[in-house]
Amino acid sequence: MDSGIVSYGFQYGCILIEAGLIVFLAQRSYGSRFDSVLLYLSCLLAAGVARSYTLHRYGYHSAQYSYVYYTTDFLLVISLFVLVCLFFRRACLHQEKMWRFVRLFLAFTTVLVVGISGLSFSHNYSRLFLEFVTEFNQNLYFTCLVLNTLLYLLLQQIESTDDQLGLLVCGVGIQFAGPAATWALLHLTANERFAQSLNSLVMRLCTLGMVLVWAYAIVPVRGRAVVTRSKAAVLAEVTAHLNI
Amino acid sequence: MIFAALILILSTAMFFFYFQVTCQKVLRRQFDREYFQSIVNANRLEFPSLRKSLEEFGAPVDYPRLRMMLKCDFLALTYLLKNAANVNQRYSNEERLLILYFRWQFLSLAVRRLLKVGEKKAVLRLTSVLQYFANVVGQRVNTVRFGNLTAADYLLNL
Repeated sequence: MDSGIVSYGFQYGCILIEAGLIVFLAQRSYGSRFDSVLLYLSCLLAAGVARSYTLHRYGYHSAQYSYVYYTTDFLLVISLFVLVCLFFRRACLHQEKMWRFVRLFLAFTTVLVVGISGLSFSHNYSRLFLEFVTEFNQNLYFTCLVLNTLLYLLLQQIESTDDQLGLLVCGVGIQFAGPAATWALLHLTANERFAQSLNSLVMRLCTLGMVLVWAYAIVPVRGRAVVTRSKAAVLAEVTAHLNI
Repeated sequence: MIFAALILILSTAMFFFYFQVTCQKVLRRQFDREYFQSIVNANRLEFPSLRKSLEEFGAPVDYPRLRMMLKCDFLALTYLLKNAANVNQRYSNEERLLILYFRWQFLSLAVRRLLKVGEKKAVLRLTSVLQYFANVVGQRVNTVRFGNLTAADYLLNL
């Protein structure tokens, strides 16, 4: 099967599940517990819709699609970083002392990523904005992957009982790790065609994976995988069986 | 170049790590009682005895036989998951994820066997997936058998 079709299938599947989750979260009143998730899902949905529209309107090789893609990617990575920071806040909700340290660490990380990307940009000033954005995105993406792993370790360390947060963090981890690996592969293979299509497929697959894990964590299904039948149907079946 | 290779290795390892942690979080789901026992007895599944022998005695098991036992139990349980008391006749998302996890662990068992490291750990993970499947099937069968009727309800309605 053409990998492009599969990739688009994942993309539209993602958009549908994201929209479903947003509606679900907006309808229920969970307080501020899922504000960060709602914010990120909204960004993801807006980016998905904007990219699909531009792709259909201007085509894959157009400058418009390229600008929309990289700008939305930039916004998505920023919102992912904010999401990880908010997850840190949720994990340290009852540990003010630790939160003070984590806050400093997160601020230092942000300055470090902006600094490294800015330094790289200043050395190659002739390069365009898009290339700076790509570099910045990749740096921040890998930083988020490391931060997310630190968050997971922190949850283990403080023996957090918040299972939901654990699953949300795992979802984000899947979303970070897959694309980071394929980006590195792209670098190593000097943008080979195979690596490019693998990158596009893995990115969409990982986003789908994250959204599904989040849906599993957020949507409460009473007695998961339980089949219920009406009283009358069961009665009829058992009576028929006894008559035989 | 070295930095990219390092990121590739680390990210791939992290991807599999998060995948495994997610599956283990799904497997930690609590059932209101142990449904798997009735399914094990009815279908003569072998994974509980295999797990018991590994946990209690650490008994060395004949590898081809072990593979066969796990594979047969897996095939029986996935068939039951899809067809026993399942109105939709298809797997749920978490079942699909765990089927993938089982296959991955099965592959990892073969690799661990070759390298002779952590074989027991992989077998225990495989049996925990099978126990989860048996619990889900048992819970479904239990719910369908009784619906929302108690035994007294049923007798009163006869």
